[in-house]
Amino acid sequence: MSASLVRAARAGRIATRTNLRSGARTPASWSHPRHYASIPEHSGPSKQRDSSAVGVFTPTAAALFIATGAALFAYFKYEKERLAEQRRDELADKEVGRPNVGGPLSLTTHQGKPFTEQDLQGHWSLIYFGFTNCPDICPDELDKMSAAVDQLDKAYGPVVQPIFISVDPARDSQIQMERYVTDFHPRLLGLFGDYASTKEACKSYRVYFSTPQTAKATDDYLVDHSIFFYFMDPNGRFVDAFGKASTVEDVVARVQKEVTAWKAKTGSVV
Amino acid sequence: MGWLGSSDKKGPDPVSRQDRQKCWESRDAYFACLDAAGVVNPGTEGTSCAAPLKAYQQNCAKSWVDYFNQRRVLAEQQKSVLATVNTQASAANRK
Repeated sequence: MSASLVRAARAGRIATRTNLRSGARTPASWSHPRHYASIPEHSGPSKQRDSSAVGVFTPTAAALFIATGAALFAYFKYEKERLAEQRRDELADKEVGRPNVGGPLSLTTHQGKPFTEQDLQGHWSLIYFGFTNCPDICPDELDKMSAAVDQLDKAYGPVVQPIFISVDPARDSQIQMERYVTDFHPRLLGLFGDYASTKEACKSYRVYFSTPQTAKATDDYLVDHSIFFYFMDPNGRFVDAFGKASTVEDVVARVQKEVTAWKAKTGSVV
Repeated sequence: MGWLGSSDKKGPDPVSRQDRQKCWESRDAYFACLDAAGVVNPGTEGTSCAAPLKAYQQNCAKSWVDYFNQRRVLAEQQKSVLATVNTQASAANRK
């Protein structure tokens, strides 16, 4: 490639020299018959121009010039494409300002199946963190979530998956979880794990919980924990969070708004 | 399988909606009795609410009783703080 570049540059240089020489002489000889005056006048500067052109425009310089030009062109093209792609992403996903909620999950469902963050793909999710020995807030919130899911089921079919994640690894066994979740909603999925995986899940979702690592299943204690429930899109990405003040209607309206926008963009509700 | 009688021994089952409901009801009954006696802090009422207290303690786990009692005190404190703030605000508005 570089060899051909040099060859091309050399050819260009030769052509330039020829042009210069002929351009300098021919008009002089044709338009002015006074040979004695025109030849000395023009031969000086044209020779100078000739040698200076050769001096600067060496094959190395030409190669450098072309290589730099090509590199700059490639770089700017790449930068332009990168920026355009970035802008497309921003517009498409409203990535700006999306809180970094969600991430690795490695838990077990109340039916005994493994569950990871991959299982959040392909459907909308409402995720609540709590514990089965919760006195009043968790049952209230889960009832609220179930009522919202019932209304959304009627509108779209089962596209919103309600999920309950236990923050009480010492007491919330599979049997306990199964009895608990089926009481709220037939499709409510209970997730639980050991202390490490519970902690990892809570870290992913920015959830605080206070279960002592040494707690025993027979202990009578409460778990202090964050009481938001999260709304995630079919890519498993965070959309919004609902607190105690949000009503069933608030939740339904918010989900409907997102599902409608999703449908307009992708042509389907999930 | 020891279904009957086991609930007495093991105490209330938090996973059961009925048991939760029963606990909340006996809590409300006990707190209503405290209100009637003019007592804010549970446990300082003497013997005036002995019967509802017994039902409350039977139907709710100890941790739940502690939690509800604590929340009652906090709610009352919040009420009195809010009342003070409101009277101060209205006094300031009148000036």
